[in-house]
Amino acid sequence: MKNIKYIYLILILNFIACDDYLDIEPVGQVIPKTVEEYRSFLTSAYASPIKHKVLTTYRADEINLDKNAEGVSYYKDIFIWNDLNPSPLTSSFPYAIMYRNIFYTNHVIENSKTIIGNQTAINQLVGEAYALRALHYFQLVNMYGKPYNKTTASTDLGVPITTKYDSDKEYPLQTIEKVYAQILSDIENAEGLLTIEQQALGYNYRFSKIAVKAFKSRVYLYQQEWQKSIDVANEALTINSVIQNLNVASSIMPSEYNSVESILALETIADFDLVNHTTISTGLINSYNQVEDLRFPVYFSKNTNGTFNSNKGSDTKYKSSYRTSELYLTIAESLAELNKTEMAKQQLLEFAKYRYTPAGWELYKTKVNLLDTNNLVTEILEERRREFAIEGHRWYDLKRTTQPKLTKVFNGTLYTLEKNDARYVIPFPNDAIINNPNL
Amino acid sequence: MKKLIYLLIFIPSLLIAQKQKVISGKVIDGATQMPIVGASVYISSAIIGNKTKIEGVIEGAMLGSTTDFDGEFSLKVSDDINFFLVSYIGFETEKIAITEHNTGFVIVLKEKAEMLDEIVLTGYQKIEKRKMTSSYAKVKVAEIQQAGVSNVDQMLTGQIAGVVIQSTNGAPGAPAKIAIRGTSTLNGSSDPLWVLDGIPLEGSDVPKDFSDKDNIDNLQSYAIAGLNPDDIESITVLKDASATSIYGARAANGVIVITSKRGKKGAMRINFNATSFVTQKPDFSKLNLMNSSEKVDFELMLASRSDLTYQQDRGQVARILNAYNQYNNFRDNGFSSISSEAQDAINNLKNTNTNWGDQLYQMALNQQYSFSLSGGNDKNDYYFSAGLFDEKGTTKGTGQKRYTITLKNNFSITDKLTAGVSLFGNQNTTDSYITGADAYTNPSYYSRNANPYLQVKDENGNFVYDPDLIERSDLNLDYNILEERQNTDYQLISNSIKSIFDVNYKFNNELLFNTQLGLQLDFNKTEKFGDINSYYTRKYKQKSKYSTGNGNYDYFLPEGGIIQNWNTNAFQYNWKTTVNYNTKFNQIHELDVMLGTEFRRNQQTEIHTKGFGFNSKTLTTIPITDERALENAAFETYKKNFNENAYASFFGTASYTFDKKYTFFSSLRYDGSNLFGVDPKFRYLPLWSLAGSWNVFREDFMYDVDIVTDLKLRASYGVQGNIDKSTSPFVIGEYYSESILPGLTEEVIRALTAPNGKLRWEKTVSSNIGLDLGLLKNKIYISGDYYYRKSTDLIGLKSVPLESGFNFINTNWATVSNRGFELAINTRNITTPDFKWTSSFNISHNKSIVDEIEIREEDFKPSLKGYSVNAIFAIKTAGLDSEGLPLFWRDGKKISAVDFYNLDNGTDGSQLSREDHRNLYSYVGDGTPKFSGGFNNKFNYKQFYLGISTNFNLKQTVKSTPSYHLSLVEPGKNYSSEILNAGTGKFPALIGPTTPGFDTDLVYSWYNSFDDGKTYNDLDIWVKEISYIRISSIKLGYELPREYLEKLKISSLNFNIEGRNLLVFGTDYKGFFDPESYGSIYSQPIPKIISLGFNLSF
Repeated sequence: MKNIKYIYLILILNFIACDDYLDIEPVGQVIPKTVEEYRSFLTSAYASPIKHKVLTTYRADEINLDKNAEGVSYYKDIFIWNDLNPSPLTSSFPYAIMYRNIFYTNHVIENSKTIIGNQTAINQLVGEAYALRALHYFQLVNMYGKPYNKTTASTDLGVPITTKYDSDKEYPLQTIEKVYAQILSDIENAEGLLTIEQQALGYNYRFSKIAVKAFKSRVYLYQQEWQKSIDVANEALTINSVIQNLNVASSIMPSEYNSVESILALETIADFDLVNHTTISTGLINSYNQVEDLRFPVYFSKNTNGTFNSNKGSDTKYKSSYRTSELYLTIAESLAELNKTEMAKQQLLEFAKYRYTPAGWELYKTKVNLLDTNNLVTEILEERRREFAIEGHRWYDLKRTTQPKLTKVFNGTLYTLEKNDARYVIPFPNDAIINNPNL
Repeated sequence: MKKLIYLLIFIPSLLIAQKQKVISGKVIDGATQMPIVGASVYISSAIIGNKTKIEGVIEGAMLGSTTDFDGEFSLKVSDDINFFLVSYIGFETEKIAITEHNTGFVIVLKEKAEMLDEIVLTGYQKIEKRKMTSSYAKVKVAEIQQAGVSNVDQMLTGQIAGVVIQSTNGAPGAPAKIAIRGTSTLNGSSDPLWVLDGIPLEGSDVPKDFSDKDNIDNLQSYAIAGLNPDDIESITVLKDASATSIYGARAANGVIVITSKRGKKGAMRINFNATSFVTQKPDFSKLNLMNSSEKVDFELMLASRSDLTYQQDRGQVARILNAYNQYNNFRDNGFSSISSEAQDAINNLKNTNTNWGDQLYQMALNQQYSFSLSGGNDKNDYYFSAGLFDEKGTTKGTGQKRYTITLKNNFSITDKLTAGVSLFGNQNTTDSYITGADAYTNPSYYSRNANPYLQVKDENGNFVYDPDLIERSDLNLDYNILEERQNTDYQLISNSIKSIFDVNYKFNNELLFNTQLGLQLDFNKTEKFGDINSYYTRKYKQKSKYSTGNGNYDYFLPEGGIIQNWNTNAFQYNWKTTVNYNTKFNQIHELDVMLGTEFRRNQQTEIHTKGFGFNSKTLTTIPITDERALENAAFETYKKNFNENAYASFFGTASYTFDKKYTFFSSLRYDGSNLFGVDPKFRYLPLWSLAGSWNVFREDFMYDVDIVTDLKLRASYGVQGNIDKSTSPFVIGEYYSESILPGLTEEVIRALTAPNGKLRWEKTVSSNIGLDLGLLKNKIYISGDYYYRKSTDLIGLKSVPLESGFNFINTNWATVSNRGFELAINTRNITTPDFKWTSSFNISHNKSIVDEIEIREEDFKPSLKGYSVNAIFAIKTAGLDSEGLPLFWRDGKKISAVDFYNLDNGTDGSQLSREDHRNLYSYVGDGTPKFSGGFNNKFNYKQFYLGISTNFNLKQTVKSTPSYHLSLVEPGKNYSSEILNAGTGKFPALIGPTTPGFDTDLVYSWYNSFDDGKTYNDLDIWVKEISYIRISSIKLGYELPREYLEKLKISSLNFNIEGRNLLVFGTDYKGFFDPESYGSIYSQPIPKIISLGFNLSF
């Protein structure tokens, strides 16, 4: 019976050693706990390529699409605003991927109290998560909702809001008012937490104090909160007000991530197909003074057949979300809307100095000074069109302002988007509707 | 038993009142003719109980005696007793009639043939058959062995009730799909667990769906592929929960225990086996394809119809018409009006017939050899074997070659300590055709589609490229299947070593300690190669296409071949320790207790490399420097995967037997596995079972039931389970690296799955009742079982609102139950010294029902709820209208496709919600055969042996791939000649957008482009119920008489001739090679084999 005791002892020892035995950390897998791990976690949200800017460029009026272009079936129906029965090959506007990123930001925010590590680094990280979440809701609501309109925002439907993961939750549509409230509350939380004024080169895809201010100023601009927009833009300009001077030769475009005026270089603005298989629309080409506007040769290159291609391309260096130029133009537009015409002109011309040859600037000055308030607003929008060509601003600028009539020719047929056409709102993608009956 | 009888002798008082007689005699052993000492001679209590009407008599009292040292006995019995019984352990009980003479009986006892020491090996325990409470089946490999079969799984086909085995593909080394008692999972593997001498084997899962091209084409290394069937002694299949629960979570699909051969005591025995087998070329005509003449006429018909405009420029006929500028002329005015050159060219085409079957399939002569050496004495036994199996497949260029070596040694170190060591080593090389480019490289598929008039080589001996195999309207990458076979290679080399080290220490007769360490090492090397001049490489090159501006293109893929290697290193150890305590007290109580632990750890490393620009002479590659390659996974040159799992388990069983009649059994096991991310409450899963058996035959009242010679009832109940380790209540991330902006690459962590704290573990509750019945001295032996298994909380993927951040999450979404019966009947029909005939028949039926399942909102097909796991749903058609368009049933009325799909101009059927879509379907049958089984007969006449094995599957519903699509018939492809009936009977007409008929355009555009759920493939015309019986083997053997051999010191010499898969009877399976692969257009034909061999022993 002594033997049995030994065996019994062995069995007991086995039991004790067991939890260690089973504790295998799989290679390459982790449950994030430290601030460094959460940082890597949030980086994957930053890294997921969201192409809403690319696809809306097809929908706006900046490019021409040829019926024989490679991959035309992915974009054709976006180009001609055919939302009713598009080809099954049509590229989907981003939706799932945006909520996937929101899941990442939610997870960081939800666990902000338990992240292990340096508190400053944690605050910066959580602040970025708030800002990134706000950015995603801002993009979503402007793609899939009507533009913000103070009088109807509390009834106009936007997109579902989720700030916490729950597998059984329902996702009803929220009003545009509520979505904007969420965006602004997230931005304010971010402002309270962010510690870095301006990110270093290479890391400037991450939010910083200046980036969140630039973002906030755009939110107010879209809400037509003109004075607030000016105030926040000015706050941002106190951190960086430099505009790249195109009168000085440089190999870097103002929109590139390493230009002096870059504030946040996060979003992809163009891809391979857009650059190689479309050409710039005549309307956009004609909006430039091809001789005096310094941007023209920088932004576009001419093909042998006389058409133009965008120089802003799919390379990661062309990523751009905010840059100081936008702050100047936002201030100018808001001032004009507030009837502060002279101040607006001054702001616009100060900016234009860096974009035209000295002779061109003189011409431009004369032209601007002759404008009345209404025409000045139009001119500022034209200047935005030129400045931000193929940067994914155009569709949203058209949508938030006048929603004009657009016409396009594709394969010999004329297509029209009427003024205030309902198709200024992009329908939810099919897979989103199938999975969420509330849409 | 013996002592019990002594006790009973001292209860004589009951019988005093009656008149008595004395019986006496002698008991001898039939085999040795020696007297048997201590045999029981007694009268059944039942008899006494019936005869004595005295009050107070205890029923069950017995009267008896035992034989003395000379085997003699003498017994006083009541006068009216007219028979008595004689029994001894290990011998058949004899019933002796008392006639006129009361004395001088000579009773010859025969040794119990199978009952004597039948031991069931469960892999953990050795259990005497009489104590077995579970449902199991055992076969000896020698009895089921077939020539030309590399793996033991296929030999089990039709041999065991409740074990349904279907060969799904005829490729050498292809696995058989095994289902033991149905399927208890909807997503996971349904493979049983293979156990070799106590060690669970690791290997790839057998794919579930064999209609999928990749499942057929990808070479994999399966758990038992390396075992030579000649080395296997027996196979035990554990079927119910009480048998399998000791194996823990992995045993949910049943366990197959392999017991390998070991040396027997005695002189060295040498055995040599050699077989040559011929695999026959498959009968290509079974595919029922159009020949050249039919195909040309068919193409002419397509060209003549102005409404069929799909791919008008394809097919040789169209090319000829276009070349002579006669297309429109032909269409408008007919064949007679076109130029005579064009007519001649077209007529010529009819005379060119390429038999793709001859080009792609072959007859092959193959060999298999094995050699073994075994023997032993009191201290040691040994077994050594070497084997070679070499098979060339019927599909040219496929084959399998396997070398095996097995070594087993057992030592008695002391009286108490024994040790054993086994080694199983093998190399298994499988060759196949290259896969992955697309389906055309699959010969079965290509041979169905290639035009019969397409030549393989031109007059100059150059390969002719298929002009109709076009990637895009502007791109033909030059495909010729024979050239492709020349320039590509696909090979898997599996090297495997399994070794087992086993130590037993016997403290005393009651207590046994055993520890066993098993190692399995697998090295699998897969190489896939496409040379520079291969379609594979040309196709790959397209992935590297980029624009150089102004409409010009270039490719960044370097010139040369593409070589891909997958090197997989797998290692597992399994260390098992048990303590067995067996005791017997008061002669009628038997107790067997086992306690044990098991630790298992496995590691797998896979390295996948891709080399581009490969030169097969210098064996070098060229690096890709182009930046575009960096972002493209197709050009990733190195990838490593590492995986490790650990399991720790604690278990015990207890079995109590009372009076050899009643046995109660229980088992409990705690299974733990690596914990990363697993909810702590599921750290150890408890799995348990209870079972009982009643040896009815041992009851007294059975003694006068002459006809019954064995009867046992069994019942069991058990719980098994599994936890899905891929979901976790935490957010588990996986590391990747990303570069968001130039010049900076960072580590990122991506969330793997949605966190889920609500997931419960999958649980299967099984119950089983069974009966074993032996009749007429066990000449007829019947085993029957009925079972019910219910699996709840099965984990499945469910789609969720995208707003959650995920498309799918794992959830407990289904409950499946399986119920069924199994019946096995073994009979010895004739037993004479010269002639023997034995039969075995088995049949099983399993019905699965999905009791609960969450509906997926996005599904096109109806929920399985209330139907079988493999339920087939189809759209019921109601024949054709006058234009040949399909009609459908709704509310008992025939309606058109327009009404059925609610088609309307402009909306193209898109208004059909998914729910409407699901409602289009009806249940048409079960994809699992209703009945499966086998019927096997063996005849021995003097030196001759004949064995005939058959297996059958009855009433299985199968959905076949449609032979054509009504709106997408490609003139450049060949079709089954079914297409010639399009528009008649049940086959829909070929239509185009302008085909006349009411709303044909709507029907056309629906089927052509808007039918996202692909309902055309689901029309009931493609569904068929099939039943078949396959004669899997006919084997004739001749054993040379011993007297001739003795002089040569040969102990035996057999010659065998065998035919495998020669005949199938049943529902017609026209259009496919075999009923097993009915409906699959990718699988290779199952070979017919004729073999000739001999077996020599010294």
